[in-house]
Amino acid sequence: MISQFFVLSQRGDNIVFRDYRGEVAKGSAEIFFRKVKFWKEDGQEEAPPNVGGVNYFHVKVVGLLFVATTRVNVSPSLVLELLQRIARVIKDYLGVLSEDSLRKNFVLVYELLDEVIDFGYMQTTSTEVLKSYIFNEPIVVDAARLQPLGPAAIFMQGTKRMPGTAITKSVVANEPGGRKREEIFVDIIEKISVTFSSSGYILTSEIDGTIQMKSYLTGNPEIRLALNEDLSIGRGGESANDYRSSYGSGAVILDDCNFHESVRLDSFDMDRTLALVPPDGEFPVMNYRMTQEFKPPFHINCLIEEAGHLKAEVILKVRAEFPSNITANTVVLEMPLPKYTTRASFELEPGATGQRTDFKGANKKLEWDLEKFVGGVEHTLRAKLTFSQELHANIIKEAGPVSMTFTIPMYNVSRLQVKYLQIAKKSSSYNPYRWVRYVTQANSYVARI
Amino acid sequence: MGCIRVDKITEYLCDPLQRCLKDDDPYVRKTAAICVAKLYDINAELVEDRGFLDSLKDLISDNNPMVVANAVAALAEIQENSSGPIFEITTPTLTKLLTALNECTEWGQVFILDALSRYKASDAREAENIVERVTPRLQHANCAVVLSAVKMILQQMELITSTDVVRNLCKKMAPPLVTLLSAEPEIQYVALRNINLIVQRRPTILAHEIKVFFCKYNDPIYVKMEKLEIMIKLASDRNIDQVLLEFKEYATEVDVDFVRKAVRAIGRCAIKLERAAERCISVLLELIKIKVNYVVQEAIIVIKDIFRRYPNTYESIIATLCESLDTLDEPEAKASMIWIIGEYAERIDNADELLESFLESFPEEPPQVQLQLLTATVKLFLKKPTEGPQQMIQVVLNNATVETDNPDLRDRAYIYWRLLSTDPEAAKDVVLAEKPVISDDSNQLDSTLLDELLANIATLSSVYHKPPDAFVTRAKTATQKTEDDDYPDGNETRYSETLSNAANGGASPPSSSSVPHAAARQSAPAPAAPAPAAVPDLLSDLIGLDNNQIVPADQPATSSGPPLPILLPAGSGQGLQISAQLVRQDGQIFYSLLFENNTQITLDGFMIQFNKNSFGLAAAGPLQVPPLAPGASARTLLPMVLFQNTSTGPPNTLLQVAVKNSQQPVWYFNDKILLHVFFTEDGRMERTSFLETWRSLPDSNEVLKEFPGIMVTSAEATLDRLAASNMFFIAKRKHANQDVFYFSAKIPRGIPFLIELTTIIGNPGVKCAIKTPNPEMAPLFFEAVETLLKA
Repeated sequence: MISQFFVLSQRGDNIVFRDYRGEVAKGSAEIFFRKVKFWKEDGQEEAPPNVGGVNYFHVKVVGLLFVATTRVNVSPSLVLELLQRIARVIKDYLGVLSEDSLRKNFVLVYELLDEVIDFGYMQTTSTEVLKSYIFNEPIVVDAARLQPLGPAAIFMQGTKRMPGTAITKSVVANEPGGRKREEIFVDIIEKISVTFSSSGYILTSEIDGTIQMKSYLTGNPEIRLALNEDLSIGRGGESANDYRSSYGSGAVILDDCNFHESVRLDSFDMDRTLALVPPDGEFPVMNYRMTQEFKPPFHINCLIEEAGHLKAEVILKVRAEFPSNITANTVVLEMPLPKYTTRASFELEPGATGQRTDFKGANKKLEWDLEKFVGGVEHTLRAKLTFSQELHANIIKEAGPVSMTFTIPMYNVSRLQVKYLQIAKKSSSYNPYRWVRYVTQANSYVARI
Repeated sequence: MGCIRVDKITEYLCDPLQRCLKDDDPYVRKTAAICVAKLYDINAELVEDRGFLDSLKDLISDNNPMVVANAVAALAEIQENSSGPIFEITTPTLTKLLTALNECTEWGQVFILDALSRYKASDAREAENIVERVTPRLQHANCAVVLSAVKMILQQMELITSTDVVRNLCKKMAPPLVTLLSAEPEIQYVALRNINLIVQRRPTILAHEIKVFFCKYNDPIYVKMEKLEIMIKLASDRNIDQVLLEFKEYATEVDVDFVRKAVRAIGRCAIKLERAAERCISVLLELIKIKVNYVVQEAIIVIKDIFRRYPNTYESIIATLCESLDTLDEPEAKASMIWIIGEYAERIDNADELLESFLESFPEEPPQVQLQLLTATVKLFLKKPTEGPQQMIQVVLNNATVETDNPDLRDRAYIYWRLLSTDPEAAKDVVLAEKPVISDDSNQLDSTLLDELLANIATLSSVYHKPPDAFVTRAKTATQKTEDDDYPDGNETRYSETLSNAANGGASPPSSSSVPHAAARQSAPAPAAPAPAAVPDLLSDLIGLDNNQIVPADQPATSSGPPLPILLPAGSGQGLQISAQLVRQDGQIFYSLLFENNTQITLDGFMIQFNKNSFGLAAAGPLQVPPLAPGASARTLLPMVLFQNTSTGPPNTLLQVAVKNSQQPVWYFNDKILLHVFFTEDGRMERTSFLETWRSLPDSNEVLKEFPGIMVTSAEATLDRLAASNMFFIAKRKHANQDVFYFSAKIPRGIPFLIELTTIIGNPGVKCAIKTPNPEMAPLFFEAVETLLKA
């Protein structure tokens, strides 16, 4: 089981250090930090290193390194999962997770750590359960300039339509106003991976989705969450290759899903409702994965032509395939260019605003940023390239693929929906704020050329 | 509780702990359960004496799942640190734990699943039952729970005979495993390493899911590498087109290591799937045409392997390969290309010109390339014995024998030379012999290791692909093993490769020079030496034979034996320390010497001289000590002869020795001769002749000595020890409460000793009476006997 747990700052300072079993020497934090720095130069990381019989695991959360050491043959996924969970619990308690907040609240943090782990064995990481054993009050740190954590953080960027305070609220601290605001957030976050072939067909497509919940309801009432009625799980015996048959039928077919332990699935098979008593803090209600074909939100078209000696032209067309009342933000397209490219001049469509183009000379990359991308619109970029040397082979072989990142709020490609969110509480006047939010993000969105 | 980890505190801890284990509040009980493990860590005996283990076992039946989980965790840890069976899972425990499993926290579930995975179901029915109870865990959001459940199921599956059930389980396990790949990259990596093991055992589980292992452009490099590995394992005739398309795409990416691995992957697929080989080759040719240097080199290396797998099938592409000849600058690629030229010399019109271009730089090439050049030239000569190649071979052999310091190269060249000069036909048979076809090595782990690793799925060892005892060292066991101890070669290279991303490691079929150890060459001659298959075998055999003859003969001389007494301490030898003793081995007397050089300079030119002594001991040959570097030591056995320059006067045990070396003055020291070294092997006497000799000797020749301090505890052990020193047991009789033993011994020049030992077994005091024609030897003899009895 784990021997030590510590949190390092980016500079390698020990912010929190807890030794549970006394089997690993004190210098471990330093040994580890050197190792990590060494990796950074090498560009490789994460394979759990073993130094002198001590195994180190770490995850990086908002620039902080959460590290655990052990001498035995533990389950690495267990430890990694635990580290993530500890980060989340601390964040739940402190409201904000940062070096500053950890330092100011170190008493609380150590108290938490002692409850979470005993002699290297995980006890509980449920914010809810921990509440009854934790007595220290958090000292709230001003969060305005700090980067928030967690998947819900994406709601913070761009449009300010979400109440920002909820994200950085501690589960135990009361609102400054004294009265606690009753609210619950349900976020459906989908990360999509699509690979287009050079002829525009979809080679692979996958959605990793999660329903994230954050509840600030007093008394923890039971909640019922209804999903699409035509939802089905498992592709049966079909292989991944013939999923096309299911497309168009309108049904949402998940390949696989898993649920948080608080979720009861009594009626899930019948009417696709999840019943749960939400624990305090942020947690994923359900994770799902699907490879059912969906309509990709963007269509990318890329053309490269040689335009005379040592010259070529790239035409990049992107069309948004979602309704026009929806806008994607922070859209970035990247494309590696042939390595003898010395110069690239760009030509945007007339009247384009909020777009930025760049040629990164060091790694020979074309970058195209679009602040906003309204649904149904097509944008085009023309780039003229100049080479310093004759190309060996076909120019297409040396350039591309085009990769794209974006965030589309209030849109999900899987058509998985929360039909209703019911809060079981007797009083009829009780009407807390309910936020159901959707977002689609690009994970690996690539078009080959 | 129990966090003060001091021995003194334990006695105060016991009573409260006893109470807490029976407390009403589950929180107290669960903390107490862990406390037992802590206490065991400090004082194991106390835990056993106070019966905490039983209380802990009772907690398994607790109604609170958290308490159960902690009790299981504590018991599992105690079991791990103890030798006896403490925590054995019986059928009732199993049922209890499986019930608790449903209600535990996620962490508790992992503890319980890990503990249960040690349980061996008695039959298929039971296994099916267990699996049925565990399967719902696959739906858990916590990756650790999923992996532990997978481990459990895989283990029970071994017992299940019904193919339907197995197929069904495989189907159920696939989606959760794939879902793990949506987690953070760290967890993905862990999952991939585990999947790597699982598909080696049960490829069907993920056979249809190869698409999910396609790399995403934002995957970290270590995840990509692992995915490639799994894609190769899952590649089949059905999906090879898709896979090749992906590989081709990867081969044009930016990261060099990844690109190389992708190119190798294509080659490995070609070797694995015969029907796809042609398509693989055409992809490789396309890649070569892009003319990116490292892609070309990597492609040539794998094409060489493809040629070895499918000899005489794809030579048509050689022309394309030859075009990129001048761009090669990596040794492995060069060596591979040269091998191809040599192997197909008769079909390449200008093979001699091509090789000649390499020959110009022969002395500067790395050994790997030199060896291949040598072999290729010999092949060329045997295939086209014309003037050009003849000149070339002269140059090469000359270069390889005279101008090089590399013994491998020189020896190989000499063997070729001799072969060619004695019997060119035989040379042809040897050099151009049919080579064994290589096979795909994508399932490299041998099955016992794989079994062990599969039993450890979801743990660190499944990530390292090493058995746990190879890297786990508890704090208490002070010896820290180095990481790479006792590893099967292939596995070690694999491991270091995946961790360090060194793409040129052993993942592809090993080629001759990437195997550095001579040992590896001996054990696996076929893959180790692609080019001149037969010759290096011969070579290594020769070497092996030599070693076998020399080494064992040397071994006892140089290493074994008890520590020798120090005769010249480093203090008085200006840093040179000499330990020495006379020993008898195989009927011969040796002077066993240990030289330790603690000076700052290298010492050499050691010589030894013995002064006149009672037995005329002298060196039978010169002292053989290699030059000693500072800090080095050497052990040697110097054969001795007797009666060379015997001193006069009554016999004594003094042996004066002088040792000198080229750097220091002569050192003198004294040693003591122990008579038992001279006891000869032919000293055994028959009972009758013993009695006769005893009677024939006058009583004045009988000498008696008592050793009051010596005790014989076991007659047999003593007899054995004495017999080992050539003091032979003749008879035994009882006299009152005493045991009387009779022995005989003989020293050179035929001087016999008749010995009578009287003692009470188990009591101190031994009386020794001897009769011998040379009673003046008696004091020496007693000294020897005393040493022998004391030993």
